[in-house]
Amino acid sequence: MIDAALYLAGRSLVNGLRRRLRRLRQPKYMIGFAVGLLYYYAFFLRPRGGGQSSAASLPGAAAEVVAMLGLAVLILTGWLFGSSRSPLVYTPAETHFLFTAPLTRRQVLDFKLLRSQLALGLSSLLSVLLFSGGHFPATRILRVLGLWLVFASLQMHSAVTALVRQSLEEHGVTAVRRRLGAFVIVAAIVGAAALTLRAQFGIVQDAFVEGPVAGFDTLAAVLHRGLLGVVTWPLAALVGPAVSRDLATFAARLPAALLVLGVHYVWLIRSSIAFEEVAVESAERMATRIAAWRSGRRPPPIAGPAKPTRRALTRLRETGSPARAIAWKNIQAEWRGSGVRLPVIIVIGLIVVAWVASMGEEAGSGLFVLAVLFLVFGGLAIVFGPYGLRNDLRSDLQLWDLLKTYPLRGADLVAGEVLGPVTVLTAIAWGCLLGAFTLSLMIDVNDFPVADRVAALLAVAIATPAALAVTTTIQNAAVLFFPAWITLGPARATGIEMIGQRLVTMVGSAVVLVVALIPAAVVGAVAVAIAGVTGITGVWLAVPGAIAVAVTLVFEVIMAFAWLGRVFERSDPATEIGGTG
Amino acid sequence: MIEVRGLTKLYGSLVAVEDLSFAVAPGEVLGLVGPNGAGKTTTLRSLVGIIRPTRGTIRIGASDMERDAVGAKRQLAFMPDEPRLFDYLTVEEHLRFTARLYGVRDAEVRIPALLRELELGEKTGALPEELSRGMKQKLAIACGLLHEPAVLLFDEPLTGLDPAGMRRMKQTIVERARQGAAVILSSHLLHLVEEVCTRVLVINRGRLVAIGTIAEIVASRPDLQGRGLEEIFLALTGGGT
Repeated sequence: MIDAALYLAGRSLVNGLRRRLRRLRQPKYMIGFAVGLLYYYAFFLRPRGGGQSSAASLPGAAAEVVAMLGLAVLILTGWLFGSSRSPLVYTPAETHFLFTAPLTRRQVLDFKLLRSQLALGLSSLLSVLLFSGGHFPATRILRVLGLWLVFASLQMHSAVTALVRQSLEEHGVTAVRRRLGAFVIVAAIVGAAALTLRAQFGIVQDAFVEGPVAGFDTLAAVLHRGLLGVVTWPLAALVGPAVSRDLATFAARLPAALLVLGVHYVWLIRSSIAFEEVAVESAERMATRIAAWRSGRRPPPIAGPAKPTRRALTRLRETGSPARAIAWKNIQAEWRGSGVRLPVIIVIGLIVVAWVASMGEEAGSGLFVLAVLFLVFGGLAIVFGPYGLRNDLRSDLQLWDLLKTYPLRGADLVAGEVLGPVTVLTAIAWGCLLGAFTLSLMIDVNDFPVADRVAALLAVAIATPAALAVTTTIQNAAVLFFPAWITLGPARATGIEMIGQRLVTMVGSAVVLVVALIPAAVVGAVAVAIAGVTGITGVWLAVPGAIAVAVTLVFEVIMAFAWLGRVFERSDPATEIGGTG
Repeated sequence: MIEVRGLTKLYGSLVAVEDLSFAVAPGEVLGLVGPNGAGKTTTLRSLVGIIRPTRGTIRIGASDMERDAVGAKRQLAFMPDEPRLFDYLTVEEHLRFTARLYGVRDAEVRIPALLRELELGEKTGALPEELSRGMKQKLAIACGLLHEPAVLLFDEPLTGLDPAGMRRMKQTIVERARQGAAVILSSHLLHLVEEVCTRVLVINRGRLVAIGTIAEIVASRPDLQGRGLEEIFLALTGGGT
């Protein structure tokens, strides 16, 4: 069994490397590979001053406490918000070959665990390299081994979590009841921990006042005592080898970590009642997605069983602009493709942050923090949204053949594709801005009068859709001009050369964005100057400036639509993304 | 060779297969037909041990799939509708890997012979992405036949094949049955079932509707006399008007 797994892993590695090396003969992959190598060198291998990074230079107790808390958060959120999708996903080939082969269920599970260790080992090595500051003494190998133990145990823990969820689902326990059950258990553990910590809070606080080293030492000591010590023992045992600084400490801590790993293995083996169903279902979903990608269809979501389709946000009229119809289609794709988990986590996070902030001495501090968070989310949507929402040409060019058959001008098609994500992101950004503004009315912000806030709100709201349109258009232009460099659809290609290609595309897009913003900035500045002459003052000057910027950007975008439309009309899908015959 | 008794598979409250019983003797080709969602795939997957039945027993030769899954699986081969191959194993490496899984001792002799038989001799070093659909199908068959299984299960075996490939596939099925293998063939292609199968099992909504030769099925339902297989199928599954 083990030799078959090693044979598969070894041959797959060798053949995969050969294929990648052959691909480097093409310039686009060679350039990507060179840039990717530079990236890896700069982030992982380049010697940096000081010998090691701040993370690696944390005092022993601090590293242990931070690692334990990180692990606790991962495990608790996994039980609370995790899905029934196991990290041990079998590929369709593995399902076919292994499940029908004369192997026991335990052998099939061992096979998968064994195969995944290569990836976990590589992750451990890269994690250590990232914080090595370019220095890699022999003792760092111990850290790699320690991290591998942590990753392997976490992988098995996640698999057990998924199997338990799947088992509960099969027994008819609803998602709400499952989460409620997990929440009660987690709350009991956190509550017990909080009570112990509360009793020791003064001691820990005094120690931190004395200095971080003393603070972390005291906190570590508290975490190891009493009931809390019992609860946190597995975490401490697991992270122990990874934070060891010498061979002797590592060797002393290793047995406990191995014990935790072993317990997880036994737990996983004993939990694998629903194992075949989970594995087969995952493999089926993966096969469906692969088939969908290869045939140019949008694949179904990977997590969970089929869910009822959400109703359309708006009804599309049978007549009207085709570009609007395409935008409508893309908006529905975002709406139906988005899950509820992330928004729920964000809302809970916001409530918790506001509640914590409201405990401060200053009145309204909770609302103030909430308003700032709204602004931050709005900003993130404007800056990073166009890169994240890809239901435009980046998704639809998988159907290049089909798009070419539509009786549409290229410019209309490009406009429709771009307007979809722009509309969604504008709605999110405006919602955040309005939220922040409304909250600001409930608190006392003396140095920023309401009138000025209204002006700022108007200015940002006016400029937002235009800015989003420019960024999204650039992303769509990139995929239209360099389809081989952008991953079409939701799949993410991997490898050094692909990382390099993404970096090149990212830098290129940033340069084009700067070039596009320069005329708008100039026109905006002129508008502000003229408005100043007419008597408008203060923050209100931003409103005519924003209008001028928006008009200029919209003009640029319309010109870009016309240009990109012609590019699309002249394009040949067979040469761009390959024929299907 | 294959003996199924009271096979039932539930997914929560959903009944995928209910109380299915049948047997397939060596040399027999049983056609498994039914409308979409009838439970054909669940039945096949239960037979090959990919999923575990909720109730019932499956015997492959002398081995019970629940008590001696390893022994049962050693005797069977499953050919899915879509060849499932490892992206980074070559044609020959797929066969070597399969040989290890099944403990084929004379793989060094069998592999070249199979590669020749299935016209894959010139593709031994090719990865799946370099193979046509038909070639992939052939490789999947080669992997299935390597350990000389006594039981063969095919799920839509003609999907994606060209006419020549279809003919070869039908020959493979018939030849293996002649050599004494028990074969189950699941397909929507009724002409294929009529041409290749010695008996037919009609399944609908997880339940057995009819089993036997076409003549036996017609004999049990005089109203189906003189009708073609398509009409018989539609009448049995309630799909006709």
